[in-house]
Amino acid sequence: MQRPVASFPLAPSLKVKLINAGFQTTNDLVDLRPLQLSKEVGITHEEAVEVLQTLRCDSQTAQERASGGSFTALQLLQQEQTLGTIVTFCSELDSVLGGGLPVGKTTEICGAPGIGKTQLCIQLAVDVQIPVCFGGLGGQAVYIDTEGSFLIQRAVDIAQAAVDHCSLLADDAEQRKSLKEFTVEKILSNLFLIRCHDYVELLAEIYLLPEFLAQHPDVRLVVIDSIAFPFRHDFEDLSQRTRLLNGLAQQLIQMATKHSVAVVLTNQMTTKVWRGQSKLVPALGESWGHAATQRLILHWEGSKRLASLYKSPSQMEATVQYQITGEGFRDVPHSGPSRSHDDDSCNDTSGNYCKRPRVEGTQS
Amino acid sequence: MASKKLRRAGVSTEICDRLKRHHIDTCQDFLSLTPIEIMRLAGLSYDKVLEMLRTVSKACSPPVTTALEWWRRKEELCFSTSLPALDRLLHGGLPRGTLTEVTGPSGCGKTQFCMMLSVLATLPKNMGGLDGGVIYIDTESAFSAERLVEIAQSRFPDYFSVKQRVVQMAERVRLFRELTCLDVLNRLERLEEDIISCRAGLIILDSVASVVRKEFDTSLPGNLTLRSNLLGKEAATLKYLSQEFRIPVVLTNQITTHVSEKAAWNDLEADLEDDSGRVTAALGNTWSHSVNTRLIVQYLDGQRRQMIIAKSPVAPFAVLNYTIHRDGFRLEGNDDLETFSNEGTDPGLQPIRVRTGLHCHLTQATPKA
Repeated sequence: MQRPVASFPLAPSLKVKLINAGFQTTNDLVDLRPLQLSKEVGITHEEAVEVLQTLRCDSQTAQERASGGSFTALQLLQQEQTLGTIVTFCSELDSVLGGGLPVGKTTEICGAPGIGKTQLCIQLAVDVQIPVCFGGLGGQAVYIDTEGSFLIQRAVDIAQAAVDHCSLLADDAEQRKSLKEFTVEKILSNLFLIRCHDYVELLAEIYLLPEFLAQHPDVRLVVIDSIAFPFRHDFEDLSQRTRLLNGLAQQLIQMATKHSVAVVLTNQMTTKVWRGQSKLVPALGESWGHAATQRLILHWEGSKRLASLYKSPSQMEATVQYQITGEGFRDVPHSGPSRSHDDDSCNDTSGNYCKRPRVEGTQS
Repeated sequence: MASKKLRRAGVSTEICDRLKRHHIDTCQDFLSLTPIEIMRLAGLSYDKVLEMLRTVSKACSPPVTTALEWWRRKEELCFSTSLPALDRLLHGGLPRGTLTEVTGPSGCGKTQFCMMLSVLATLPKNMGGLDGGVIYIDTESAFSAERLVEIAQSRFPDYFSVKQRVVQMAERVRLFRELTCLDVLNRLERLEEDIISCRAGLIILDSVASVVRKEFDTSLPGNLTLRSNLLGKEAATLKYLSQEFRIPVVLTNQITTHVSEKAAWNDLEADLEDDSGRVTAALGNTWSHSVNTRLIVQYLDGQRRQMIIAKSPVAPFAVLNYTIHRDGFRLEGNDDLETFSNEGTDPGLQPIRVRTGLHCHLTQATPKA
């Protein structure tokens, strides 16, 4: 162990004292007793204990990290399969996403105003609670609302529709039994709401969320609707904004992995003028595009609502049509000409929102 | 609660003083830093910093509630517009705690709608009102007290037959005339006191667009960013107030001629594009994100106008016909509620029909009683 003392997470003044007393690396400190150390360096007994404990902790966690930090792909595969996905109730979108929204990953939903971002979020917050015997996750959801768009009336509608849907499907005894538990009231009580009014409250909430998730191990979904609103005003220093957002993204990814939750962020669209043409691009700047593991863009084409998977490590990019009904986020009934995933027509109009020109079609 | 002082957030005096030397005084300053930076500035170990971050976060984070708790207070969720069809679509009325925008061409009835809502808000609870005051921020000097009384007396002739009640109603509408952007923003930032002192049940900002569009020349570089910053700030303040006091906020917006490549528009819109030009809601896309509900009013023919629910977290896209009378808005000919669909279109791009001839002006001059 040759780690320099300067690199330890100790108070800066303490580190200076240690180095001045000639302690350069872990080796110099490892055999010392607290009393001895406090005398030699001229620090209090408590401080000496803290130093030694930090050192010991660190060598332990280093070992743990070595054993726990690497997986084989097989292990990961098994793990991902047990985590499951959250269905959206739009079967076309589910199949594009590979069965639904993946748990343990972060997904960003971008879209024009009124396109249905909040609707999709509420739908997911309800769907995550579908009992296991119906193929759901039977989880809970945390909904962080920064825009005030979460309307409880709408959540009740969507929850009722989900309950009705499940009661139509129920045929064996186990399903009927779990249906007794799966009521609108139950769904609402498993939906935790947090209303953040500015970015500081949002940052504070994100710091506290891991603790909350540890206390509520059934939470499988964290929604932040939207990440954009609190960060789109009040910032004179854009580099500070970028830094805060990057930190936030990192915390969210950590949270998603550690507590096995799906993290959903919504983002707004902004108008960008590029080569004399104005087009809609996701807000918060280009570097924010790296933040989420998956990116879904909802956009209009005339009066049709389309969802495009825009960035995903595992699924193909594709565009599907959806609609928002009284019951929630749904498939478009296939009466007219059907749209398949590799429909090229979506590319003709996609220039309206694409940030980079795409040469190849959606099918590869 | 971003401006909460660290001292009150459970941080020891010694560390507060140390941080203050680096101009870190509030929770906002503190949480904007990374743990490593705090370590350096406060002279603490990493673990202590994490602990402190949790303490400070706890001091300024909002409470966690469940949706069920909200649902139990459902009677406080809506403000009835007294227009049955609209209320039904909006699940009971304008949602409280959110921003509702009314957009449309001039003279289409935006201010009329606001004045009608003002009357409604002052009504006692058993008549569907809020039994509260109204904060009316007028940036266009369009508010007419005479018209307010007229609406009240013709809409509720029985209730307002007592003169005392008319006086009481008029007293409860507090008007602020703010004619510059800065005035509006300052007013909004100080609004908390006014809301409490006149027990406001409704906030109206008529209009959000006029001052902003007067003062910001968006053809100049940088102005657009300033403008959206200002609007964002206004929206955030209003959202905070409406949420905290559980009251609805109504804003009016103007219209603008939308310039876009025609290719993006299919035949459906081309039909509307005769000689009226394609007109959409003003203030751009970012602003459209900020409002929770967008109602568009537009001309149909002669006396008839239409109200479109263009964006709403609860209602589908819907079109309602209305006319304006002495007693305010009246919905007419909406017996078939099949006029709404699940489709809709981008509320920022929803075309708005404007008045196309002088003919309408003439008929409008003699409204039916």
